[in-house]
Amino acid sequence: MTGFAQGLLDALLRDTHLIVPQLFLMAVATLMLWPGDLFFNRNEKHKWAPITLVVLAVTAVLITKTTDGEGFSRMFRVDGLTRGFQMLCVLAAAGTVALSVKLLDALKQHTVEYYALILFSVAGMLFLCGASDLISVYFSIELMAISIYILVAYLRDRATSVEAGMKYFLLGAFSSGILVYGISLLYGAGGGITTNLEDLNRALALTPTTSSLLVYAGVLMVLVGMAFKVAAVPFHMWAPDAYEGAPTPITAFMATAPKAAALAAFLRVFGTGFHGVSSDWVLPLTYIAGASMILGNVAAVRQESMKRLLAYSSIAHVGYMLLGVLSGDPKAGAQAVWLYMLIYIVMNTGAFAVVIYLQAKNEGERIEDFKGLGRKHPVLAFAMMVFLLSLAGIPPLVGFFGKFYLFKLAIEQGYVTLTVIALLTSTVSAYYYLGVVKEMYFKEPEGEAAPLGAAQLFIVTLACILVLVGTAFGPWLLKWAGEIFWV
Amino acid sequence: MFTANPTLMLVATFLPVLGALVLLLVPKDQRRTFEIGSLLLMIASLLLSLPFWFGYDRSSDAVQWFMAVDWIPALGVKFAVGMDGISLLLWLLTTFIGPIAVACSFKSIEERHKEYYIWLLVLQTAMLGVFITQDMFLFYLFWEVMLVPMYFLIGIWGGPQKLYAAIKLFLYTLAGSVLMLVAILAIYFLQHKATGSYNFSLASFQQMAPIIAQQSKTYQHLMALAFFVGFAIKVPMFPFHTWLPDAHVQAPTAGSVILAAILLKMGTYGFVRFLLPILPTATKELMPWFIALALIGIIYGALVAMIQKDMKKLVAYSSVSHLGLCMLGLFALNPYGIKGGLFQMINHGISTSGLFLAVGIVYERRHTRMIADFGGLSKTMPVYATIFMIMTMSSIGLPLLNGFIGEGVILMGSFQAFPWAAVVATLGIILGAAYMLWMFQRVMFGPITAVNEKMDDLSLREILYFAPLVAAAFWIGLYPKPIMDVMDAPVRKLVTQVNPDFFIAESLAAKQAEAAKLGMQGMAAPAHHEAAPAGHEAAAEGHAAHEAPAHETAAHGGGH
Repeated sequence: MTGFAQGLLDALLRDTHLIVPQLFLMAVATLMLWPGDLFFNRNEKHKWAPITLVVLAVTAVLITKTTDGEGFSRMFRVDGLTRGFQMLCVLAAAGTVALSVKLLDALKQHTVEYYALILFSVAGMLFLCGASDLISVYFSIELMAISIYILVAYLRDRATSVEAGMKYFLLGAFSSGILVYGISLLYGAGGGITTNLEDLNRALALTPTTSSLLVYAGVLMVLVGMAFKVAAVPFHMWAPDAYEGAPTPITAFMATAPKAAALAAFLRVFGTGFHGVSSDWVLPLTYIAGASMILGNVAAVRQESMKRLLAYSSIAHVGYMLLGVLSGDPKAGAQAVWLYMLIYIVMNTGAFAVVIYLQAKNEGERIEDFKGLGRKHPVLAFAMMVFLLSLAGIPPLVGFFGKFYLFKLAIEQGYVTLTVIALLTSTVSAYYYLGVVKEMYFKEPEGEAAPLGAAQLFIVTLACILVLVGTAFGPWLLKWAGEIFWV
Repeated sequence: MFTANPTLMLVATFLPVLGALVLLLVPKDQRRTFEIGSLLLMIASLLLSLPFWFGYDRSSDAVQWFMAVDWIPALGVKFAVGMDGISLLLWLLTTFIGPIAVACSFKSIEERHKEYYIWLLVLQTAMLGVFITQDMFLFYLFWEVMLVPMYFLIGIWGGPQKLYAAIKLFLYTLAGSVLMLVAILAIYFLQHKATGSYNFSLASFQQMAPIIAQQSKTYQHLMALAFFVGFAIKVPMFPFHTWLPDAHVQAPTAGSVILAAILLKMGTYGFVRFLLPILPTATKELMPWFIALALIGIIYGALVAMIQKDMKKLVAYSSVSHLGLCMLGLFALNPYGIKGGLFQMINHGISTSGLFLAVGIVYERRHTRMIADFGGLSKTMPVYATIFMIMTMSSIGLPLLNGFIGEGVILMGSFQAFPWAAVVATLGIILGAAYMLWMFQRVMFGPITAVNEKMDDLSLREILYFAPLVAAAFWIGLYPKPIMDVMDAPVRKLVTQVNPDFFIAESLAAKQAEAAKLGMQGMAAPAHHEAAPAGHEAAAEGHAAHEAPAHETAAHGGGH
């Protein structure tokens, strides 16, 4: 007994350095709930936002300090892939927190729980980025998702918010069930000895042909479960409603951070764990990617709500990114996905910043609300135009560079048809993005222009400059992407 | 001080956009500052571009003033610029049209001046950039970036259907260019497989032609079609032309002028620069289809132009017809055809922008463009009528004016390659004369209505912006040699790349002629292979009227 305890203690001491960022986040988030909540009175809760930003900055530093390695019975590993995607999650979370202040002020809904929940979900994402075992993948997803379910329903006196949370929760739970079922099938098919991705890959290679159906079913179920989490078609049904109902900063968050983490898991699970049985999942995933691009972009055309438009467009963007997962060269695929995700986070956060700004004045929900923005707020409108054109992939904006790099890889890997679909549907996307530009510049404004908050202006301007000049710094972007690797 | 060098080329190209950044800081009620400022910027860019006309080495077919800086080494992307004669002419056409486009907007643009002139300047740099780039990635960048300012120019300052026209232009062109991107990437990887290096440089793409020729038929045809559709939409060739009438009619005058003079030339330039040299084999295999489309464009464009009631729409459809003729020339794949095609691109830029400006003049005064609303204008607006007349004549190819030379050379080239197509094209030219003259007659002659009597003749500003166009039309019509000289060497190089048989046949014909003259002696000398093209060159430099007999011999001797 003491031997076991001793072993456990040794393992903890040996491996804890791998999860310092997560432990830090969870500790801080817990302390924020109590006794931290007592520090500020009801009207001072907004002071948690800068504190959260500092915590996230410290987390980013801690992530850079972690060393490569594997631990906790090979459930979690730190490598270039882990660190790279962890940074993306922290970046997206920081953007969300910075965007939240004004809106929550306007709604008088500031609480410490909001920020604590964001930190908890980020901790879950950081675990997910490095999860190297199907079980730890599952646990990390749950930690991440449960916090977000609550955040979606955060505006508890609004029916839409509560409905969105409920829908997201039910479908999320359902998809988790499928995921776990798939894991259990694979566990059985692999001989009931392991759920570790590398071991499972070896074990699945040795399974007799009689259980190939078992493997197939297991792989497909895991695929379905993961596709739910990244909102890929046809498992995207929850996304538009959840995005529309959630507080807008959380919508921005959901469109980026959890997807970054889930795509990291996607890359690791399919690139490592199911690498040997790729014939089982490549074709279905090809269809999922293609359908996401087509349906995401086509459905976005008819939207009148800005948040739904961005929701559908994020489905399409996930479709593009799945091209990277499909890559026969997992390392190059991971790099392309990472690069795209980084760029997507910047442009998406920028676009949501503009939406949130308008929303603080009870506008911005509908595309119509953008009418004449070019006259009312030239800077804001220009930035929004830059984000939208970048999302559409118009050069020289950085969104083009991300697409170019991703599609280049896809063509190299022989996915020519899928790339042509991606490119043609991105033309469709130009239609609805330009629809918003049209409202901003081609229509006359209504109502008065309110002054712009300094913080929002800063975020918008920063993101806008990054998007404008990003392509010129292509070599740097590629250098960072070059550090995304795993063994 | 200002000698032609790569730095000056970049300065002339980027001056408009840099100026636009400065204008961004000017408060938006300073209308005059934007007008004069952007006019001065355009003129400065034009003046800076002139040394290149004089400094161009006409004997060389190399890319001149070449400069390359590594940009994204991991992908083989370079910031590479330079020009040969073909790019130079279009580049100069762009700097030439720039000030005119600004000057014609002073009165017609009545709102949101700041944005208007800034977009115009951004567009100018993007267009100039397309013509100087020597790297496929950079080319694609400029090519697409052009769309955004054009979208705004049409969408904000356009006519009643502007929203529809703007988005249609944008989506059509975007759809075409993304297909082209796929083809570019496919060739990029083929190149990596063949040579082991990742490289986007234009020269390396052109050197891929023999390797591409070894690929499967399907591969080659798909590549060629991807490029073809991308460029054909821009030209526009039938059946990809439907965006053009909408865009032209809805665009403000300056937008129409730029569209006609420069943007359409991007497509033809793309054929010359990319499709023909990179995919010569596939192009030749698909040539009957391409020629058929060009011919349909010529006839269809002319017929549709004839029934138009709107003057601007008429001119727009005449562009479809004229560009079809340019394409026919290019597809002849012989020096006459390609030279004629390129030459006609310049002419079309001059005459059609003149016509759009002329339509803009009456629209500013009457706010209608319907032919039926006018008549007898020559009585009250004699100067206007004269200029309109010159532009009409230039467009239909009256001798002494620019259009004649271009059409003549194209017909010679295409006759050499496929006589029956040249015959059909001639029909298009006749139709062209018919619809243009008919429009002129209905607008300028006949009884005048009370409203039209009050219309003012051209102001000094208007005369000033027409003047360069009129001067250019006469200059090119009377003395086309300098322009022919500039494109001579690059066109020879292009024909050697695309259709090497042409020169072999030609030199064989020359040898036979020589042999006939000198008895059997001529057969021994391989040096004739060099001499024959030089002789041909001399013939090409002459006036078109002199060329015909020399050319006939070449064609017959060439074993057609």
